[in-house]
Amino acid sequence: MSEEKINANKQKVDYWKILFKNEWSYVTGAVVIVVLATALVIVTGKSWGVTGILHLWGGKFLELIGVNADTWSIYNGALGKFNFWKSIPSITNVGIVLGALLSALLAASFKIKKIKSYKQVIAAILGGILMGVGARMAMGCNIGALFSGLSSFSLHGWVFFLFIFIGAMVESSMLKKWFM
Amino acid sequence: MAEKTLDCLGEACPVPLVKAQKELEKMQKGDVLIVNIDHSCAMKNIPDWAREAGHNVEIDEVGEGEWDIVIEKC
Repeated sequence: MSEEKINANKQKVDYWKILFKNEWSYVTGAVVIVVLATALVIVTGKSWGVTGILHLWGGKFLELIGVNADTWSIYNGALGKFNFWKSIPSITNVGIVLGALLSALLAASFKIKKIKSYKQVIAAILGGILMGVGARMAMGCNIGALFSGLSSFSLHGWVFFLFIFIGAMVESSMLKKWFM
Repeated sequence: MAEKTLDCLGEACPVPLVKAQKELEKMQKGDVLIVNIDHSCAMKNIPDWAREAGHNVEIDEVGEGEWDIVIEKC
């Protein structure tokens, strides 16, 4: 290759690298999330949430294995009316998983990771249960309660923010002490 | 100058960062620590921390979704 050609190649902007390979800055990510979350409110009339819908998924799963959960007072017929494809949080949740997969594939960094130790399995299961129960008790997770709470100027978002911070501190010291 | 490799494959945040911090503390000036990771968040928080602490950092992509972070203690 001639020297000019090499220089010309160096000048070329690698859009794939900028868009898909390199991580976006925190600011870029924040702006994209805000635009998409605002669009969701405009289109559907509801703010973004993730875990609120999971109790219906759980109920549907119970029905699938033969438990008649719909008569429970928490559901009270809600399971019969539940339609996955018309449930916006269900669709956005599927979108999160597919989007994460797509982003890993586009960055050529998709990898099935091996499980390193039994401790890791216990930590993951324990963490999942704590987060799930916590999100239901707090009536939302860091999306539904924190992100959507803060962006709608609700005080509960700030209360949630304070306590999720304390929770994360306790959790990371547990992780350091028992699982590392 | 010593060189040490830390296997953090299969580990998620914040474990690789904490392990790297602990390991580097034990090392001498000029020593090199190589951290194997396959968790993309660690590709951000480990170099961020190490550069802030004033060390030399390089990231090598060794495979699909697998990186080596090379830290030279300064």
